[in-house]
Amino acid sequence: MFSKKGADGMKAVKTIFNISLKARFGSLNLDLGYKGSKRVLGVFGVSGAGKTTFLECLAGLRKVMSGQITVAGEIWLDTETSCFVPTEKRHMGYVPQDHLLFPHKNVRGNLEAGKARAVQGGQDFQSVLKKVVAVLELEPLLDRSIDQLSGGERQRVSLGRALCSGPKLLLLDEPLASLDLPLRRKILPFLIRIKEAFELPMVVVSHNPTELQVLCDEVLILENGRNVMTGSPNELFTSDSLFNVAKEHGFENVFSGTIIEKSDQVDRLSLSGKDGDMSIQIPATDAFVGDRVLASIGSDNVLIGLEQPRGLSARNCLSATISRVENAGTRWLVHAVVVDAVPEFVVEVTCDAIEALQLESGARIYLVFKASSVSTLSG
Amino acid sequence: MPTIYETVSSTLLWAVLASLIVAVPGLTIAYLLARREFLGKKVLSTFTTLPLVLPPTAVGYLLLRLFADDGWLGRERLGFDLDIILSWKAVVIACSIMSFPIFVRTARVAFEEVNPRLERMGRTLGMGRQKVFLSITLPLASRGLIAATLLGFTRALGEFGATIILAGNIPGRTQTLASALFSAQQSGNETLANQLLGVALLVGFIAVYTTERLASKCSLRKEQTG
Repeated sequence: MFSKKGADGMKAVKTIFNISLKARFGSLNLDLGYKGSKRVLGVFGVSGAGKTTFLECLAGLRKVMSGQITVAGEIWLDTETSCFVPTEKRHMGYVPQDHLLFPHKNVRGNLEAGKARAVQGGQDFQSVLKKVVAVLELEPLLDRSIDQLSGGERQRVSLGRALCSGPKLLLLDEPLASLDLPLRRKILPFLIRIKEAFELPMVVVSHNPTELQVLCDEVLILENGRNVMTGSPNELFTSDSLFNVAKEHGFENVFSGTIIEKSDQVDRLSLSGKDGDMSIQIPATDAFVGDRVLASIGSDNVLIGLEQPRGLSARNCLSATISRVENAGTRWLVHAVVVDAVPEFVVEVTCDAIEALQLESGARIYLVFKASSVSTLSG
Repeated sequence: MPTIYETVSSTLLWAVLASLIVAVPGLTIAYLLARREFLGKKVLSTFTTLPLVLPPTAVGYLLLRLFADDGWLGRERLGFDLDIILSWKAVVIACSIMSFPIFVRTARVAFEEVNPRLERMGRTLGMGRQKVFLSITLPLASRGLIAATLLGFTRALGEFGATIILAGNIPGRTQTLASALFSAQQSGNETLANQLLGVALLVGFIAVYTTERLASKCSLRKEQTG
């Protein structure tokens, strides 16, 4: 089954995903190919684009007409050689939108559901369990029953259950979609922790661009079962054709910083880089001084000034340099570098503003925004 | 004349035997009907339900034809005698056939109520089909399966029409609680009939009450431990 691994072993290690699928399910015609070496792959698309179907094909829960799936060097499907590894032998953890925890087992029982495979895969189950419990903060929940858990806790247990089964790939199907906004803010940091603590390849399906920006190294855009674009999240979600789709949720500039000061109403967040210190005010969070938090601001909530404005109520003013100006449909997007530790800020302006302010790459500008326009995605 | 105790204990024994006989094929067919698509599924479903809608005496007569000397399972065709008719084995067979549909139908609903996506989750966690069945489907369907067993058992316990045709009503040999009550009433032995009625009420009450207790314990355990 894995005989091909030896011959091109070196190459296989580099390429994490090698997927090509052709299948028809009802009105959906799945036909896509992707090959990549990025560890966390995002899948974006509107509902009905085939995102979940794609994940189910990866998991072996749906049969495809023709195709190939190789993940981290292991061949799971190759219709040419009639190779089909069944779901239970695919060594992947699947986290569905609606957690699907086993109601007849408690939290510990759920976490232990995939124990046999983890042990079979040569893992020391107790140490894996310990790590998962620590990363997802599940210790106080272990002996609880499922109906005693809140929505966010259920999702954490579902993530933990998948991680405890010794997966070599983690599939997340809209992991935050069933949660309300404040809960998403609580769960997102756990997803980031999982990404950092377990060096697993991941496929994250979402219709929320911000989540994918935060989590993914590369994003695949699905439309009617086909991947129409592939690229880095920032590149894709500011691109001409996608900006308006992403705009449904607003293009969010996502950045992380360290809390350096706290008061009742606002926190001060430091965005330090090699080339300078900069700090902004954000609405008060639950985080403590010294904690790292993720924050975001919509591209349409930032003003551009050519000079440092004075006498404004907006509390944040960052000096920046324009790196490029591009057209996205009816709008124009200004990309500006603030400090090297933070991704480029994207600011949405009208054509008039571009002309009046003579915005072009290389120009020094000031980015102005209210503290209250900043949302925290974690903490 | 056998005592009431003897009649009741043999009736209980036969009902237990019938329930045991029904369990494995019943569970298999219920699971297949609930979870799989196959050719002839509706035909199978109809056949397993037939004894429920036919007059019990018709089922009894059908079985009688089947086990008669010239029947499909008779001496002439098999070359030896199964010695079914008018024996305790006939009681057990008649009770099994009559309780089969109700067991299958209830168990099928119990399996259908288990979310199939939970079973698929089990597979993504590395469980093979058998383990998924044993550690997810079966425990989640347990309440319904207990109910199915109880309904099948009580159906067997009270079986009359098919039994009396295939096994007769021979005191001390094939007489059940139901047929003993019938005989007592027919012969005008009101005292015996009343006693048998009391026993029937008691046994029925204990059977249903025990199952209710089991089912609520089961759900309580589910609530406590998830």
